[in-house]
Amino acid sequence: MHLELITLLGQKLNEPVYGITIPTAAGEISVFPGHERLVTLAVPGVLSVRRRKGDSDAHLQYFAISGGIVEISPQQVRILVDEAESGEDILESESKAALERALKLRQEAGDQVSIEKAQAHIDRHAVRLKVAQLRRRHRRG
Amino acid sequence: MISTRQLRTRIRSVKNTRQITKAMQLVAASKMRRAQEATQLTRNYAEVARELLTYLSSLVDTRRDPLYAKRPLKNRLIILITADRGMAGAYNANLLKQYVELLRQDAKRGVTNTTITIGRKGSHFVARLENVESLGAYHDFPERPTGSELKPIIATLVAMFKQGQADAVDVIYTKFAGGLNSCPVTQPLLPAGFEPSAKVGEDIRHSGFEPSARAVLRGATVRLVEAQLFQALLDANAAEQSMRVIAMQNATDNASDLIDDLTLEMNKSRQAAITQELAEISGGAEAMKV
Repeated sequence: MHLELITLLGQKLNEPVYGITIPTAAGEISVFPGHERLVTLAVPGVLSVRRRKGDSDAHLQYFAISGGIVEISPQQVRILVDEAESGEDILESESKAALERALKLRQEAGDQVSIEKAQAHIDRHAVRLKVAQLRRRHRRG
Repeated sequence: MISTRQLRTRIRSVKNTRQITKAMQLVAASKMRRAQEATQLTRNYAEVARELLTYLSSLVDTRRDPLYAKRPLKNRLIILITADRGMAGAYNANLLKQYVELLRQDAKRGVTNTTITIGRKGSHFVARLENVESLGAYHDFPERPTGSELKPIIATLVAMFKQGQADAVDVIYTKFAGGLNSCPVTQPLLPAGFEPSAKVGEDIRHSGFEPSARAVLRGATVRLVEAQLFQALLDANAAEQSMRVIAMQNATDNASDLIDDLTLEMNKSRQAAITQELAEISGGAEAMKV
């Protein structure tokens, strides 16, 4: 099955994979070769990619993604999201600090605009932190 | 006549200026290359979104989606993308001219408008204008934007359009076309519209849609608007740097010319001083003879 992960900053992935787990509006879905054709909306969350059949969870690659569109056909999956950051590029300590900063920002926010801005930051960093933690857990195990 | 010493000081100061402008030119040139590369990357994203929309619009009546609603124009939301810094020739001035022109046309037609500015130059300008409502001013976007900077702007413009506070959303930015060919343009973002894509994958035709075709249409439309605004931002970035390269190139050339002129004048004045001194000496010698 071919996976194309397309972001505003260009193609992040364009390669054959075995399975993908995608956070969608209706909950998480796992896609394997032969999946029925479907177009659906992705929500901010963790995207995990299994390269080969039989790969253990330790070999999963994680991406923190923002919302977007997923187009699934039996042999190909195209994911169109604004942002996708690989777990390898995220530092746990850094995203933790960023999340705390964002939470503080929301507390101090005075008007609607800054609250929304802070909330967007919180959502983004919460997902990034989760990806970083997932990666660490599996590396240890 | 200015003394040789004064001229020498001026030449030194102009030389320093030339060194600075030369450095700024080189910095801008390297930033421009990077910005130019970035403009290529979004193409793919927009193309896929367009392909999806082309097919979806054959399934769902787009006219019933609030983002496609064509209403009589009463309120316009303008997004003005300028630079944070000057020293880029007429870059900011051209944009502001385009913006003022749009305001003038709207005033004639009785259309009210609100503005969101990206870039310090634009927001300072808008703040000084009377009768123009500024909704937000965004400064210091990173040189390599990731798209998350635009989230609050997209949320605002979609909400305003849906609630009828704006009947049209336009973005004013500089389209990058290499060197002096870049020019400011006004591009409509909403009501949504798109050029149908030539190719529609066979895969999409037989797909199911979750939660519904209409919801996916909405999602894809917002993505395309986002990609358009992001593309505008990247283009503006590349154009700004290319204008700066040219402006600094001109400044460097002017400084060189000035140095040449001053050097000539200094040589003349030095020669004049020597001649005068000689004349005085020989004059003095003549006087001694008598």
